[in-house]
Amino acid sequence: MKHQVGNEIVRLENVVKRFGNFTALNEVNVSIAEGETVVIIGPSGSGKSTLLRTINRLERHDSGRIIVDGVELTDDIRSLAMIRAETGMVFQQFNLFPHLTILRNIALAPQKVRHMPQREAEDLARGLLDRVGIPEQADKYPGQLSGGQQQRVAIARALAMNPKVMMFDEPTSALDPEMINEVLKVMGELADSGMTMICVSHEMGFARNVADRVIFMDEGEIVEVATSDEFFTNPQEPRTKLFLDQILSH
Amino acid sequence: MTTLSTYRTMAAIRVSWARENLFNSRFNTLLSLATIVAGSVLAFLVVRFVLFQANWGLVAINRKLFFVGSYPSDETYRIWISLFLVGMLVTLTYGLWVGRLRPFLVVVGVVAAITLTLGLGTEFHIEEREYTEEIRSGDQVTVISGIQRELVREQGWAPGWLYALSLGLAVPFGTNWVLLALLYALLIVVAWAGRRLSRWRSNPVMLQAIGAGWVLIIPVTLLLQLGVSASQWESAFLDLLVFAAGGFFSFFIGLLLALGRVSPYWAIRICSVGYIEVVRAAPLLVWLLFATFLDDELGTIGEAFSSISLAFRVMIVFTFFGGAYLAEVVRGGLQSIPRGQHEASAAIGLSSIQKYVFIILPQAIRAVIPAIIGRFIALWKDTALLAAISLVNTLDKAKKVLGGQTDIAEGAFFEIYIVVGLIYWVVSYSLSRLGGVAETRLRVGAR
Repeated sequence: MKHQVGNEIVRLENVVKRFGNFTALNEVNVSIAEGETVVIIGPSGSGKSTLLRTINRLERHDSGRIIVDGVELTDDIRSLAMIRAETGMVFQQFNLFPHLTILRNIALAPQKVRHMPQREAEDLARGLLDRVGIPEQADKYPGQLSGGQQQRVAIARALAMNPKVMMFDEPTSALDPEMINEVLKVMGELADSGMTMICVSHEMGFARNVADRVIFMDEGEIVEVATSDEFFTNPQEPRTKLFLDQILSH
Repeated sequence: MTTLSTYRTMAAIRVSWARENLFNSRFNTLLSLATIVAGSVLAFLVVRFVLFQANWGLVAINRKLFFVGSYPSDETYRIWISLFLVGMLVTLTYGLWVGRLRPFLVVVGVVAAITLTLGLGTEFHIEEREYTEEIRSGDQVTVISGIQRELVREQGWAPGWLYALSLGLAVPFGTNWVLLALLYALLIVVAWAGRRLSRWRSNPVMLQAIGAGWVLIIPVTLLLQLGVSASQWESAFLDLLVFAAGGFFSFFIGLLLALGRVSPYWAIRICSVGYIEVVRAAPLLVWLLFATFLDDELGTIGEAFSSISLAFRVMIVFTFFGGAYLAEVVRGGLQSIPRGQHEASAAIGLSSIQKYVFIILPQAIRAVIPAIIGRFIALWKDTALLAAISLVNTLDKAKKVLGGQTDIAEGAFFEIYIVVGLIYWVVSYSLSRLGGVAETRLRVGAR
């Protein structure tokens, strides 16, 4: 393990998610510990994103149990609000709010959800912009920033709610190649600071160097879970080997 | 830097553009010349009519009727207060967000100069002359005598057309040119103050104050009018009140219906869709006739409805009719917002209401401002339909003036309807400009 890990913070038990006849998640069981960085990889359509999105209920799971920090995710609106406040999410397409300045993008949730005074929320936002390395962009609008900068703002926006778990849904897939590293660097620093992170990513370097564990998914099922060293040097399952051969062959 | 030579270059560019696009073949040259001749003839005819042939006196002596109809003279202070409030709000907003004082000063200055001096001098009155006339048919001679009335302009520098086409702004209702001068002065001061304050225009307190002003101005204007019986609201004033009330309240109804249409609850969705489809299915005129003639057919609801003044009933019809159309416009905006915005809002913990208030609606409304302005312009012009029910709007007043003063109004249809058209145009064009400003000012940060 590259990071110090604590008690279990996210647990999925026999989670099933169907879209019509298509089974996106089939009896998935996962346990993630506090402080751990987990990277989920797998071919497209394997259910990686769906797994992430069921954890904060952007997708509603059909059966099984999802428990985040001791709270089970149910239809009860309070448990949902609590889990969403404790999990931060970063999207492939950034999804910043284009009509608000960078500062307002970050300060909005602490102010409206945590009822933080405006000045305090904006101070917090400036601190986070500092942390992701773009303090000078505070008063611009998202459309004026590069993709890499926007994604770093999106990370700061998620961090503003002081979440216990950060989820990244292919955070570098929409970026131009020269901008990928600046985002991965911020993510690496975040992992080193002790944040619990669940990342869906195609960045094998990141998975190898930063992740504690790698989860390989295919056809809605978890095929293999291993520490990142073991996963890349000594994969057990044939499907994992095939996948790694395909992506690492060139 | 614009120098003489740049002007010369620009002129040269225009000449070469015209040569390439308008006179590049024999046929095109012929077409262009024909268009120029036809346009010139038309312009000449219009100018000749406006300056020399038209009987503007009729408009001039009836200007009060066109603006406020039979509004009681000693209550006009209510209109003045509304004018002051609206004027201050508009110029303050202009100063804050547009801030270009020079064109503003030029427009206000020219309007003030014309209207104030017009009001000082010009006077129209009706002169009565006795006349006798002999009519021969064959060997029979009939002598007709009577009184001929004629409009005479007494004094003042301004020609009749300027007087008439300034829409009688000189003395809209009464002879309060002092108040008018005060209003102009105040407009300039407020615009200037607005510009001085413009660096605080993003300050939340300032935004909330201006927003509250705009939200409250129409209810306040309506409340101010309650001291005058609604049956005395007439002419352009009635049109403006019905439009302001209808437009204002229909916006909120439209928002609610649009949100209802995209609601996750099917019962709310069905109600919204049903309402929109039923209301839009009949012409506004039919709804206005329902409002006019509804009596006790719907039991106590009908009785209660018919017990309020027709002007208020019409406002209610405009509100609900306009709301149905606006709902579809706003729904278009809501559907143009990508799903990612909903997901990001949820992921940072916003509640459903917070999501719509802070994230979705501001973007959705921005996206459909042109269409919203279009609906408002249509709603404004729909007030012409009030002439078809028993309310006296601008159009109906024009007809009454033409019909009631046939001796001096003879043949003056054009003059009267030009002024009616101008009144509709001024408001429509102002709305269109307002939309333009809103669009450019709110474009910041657009995708």
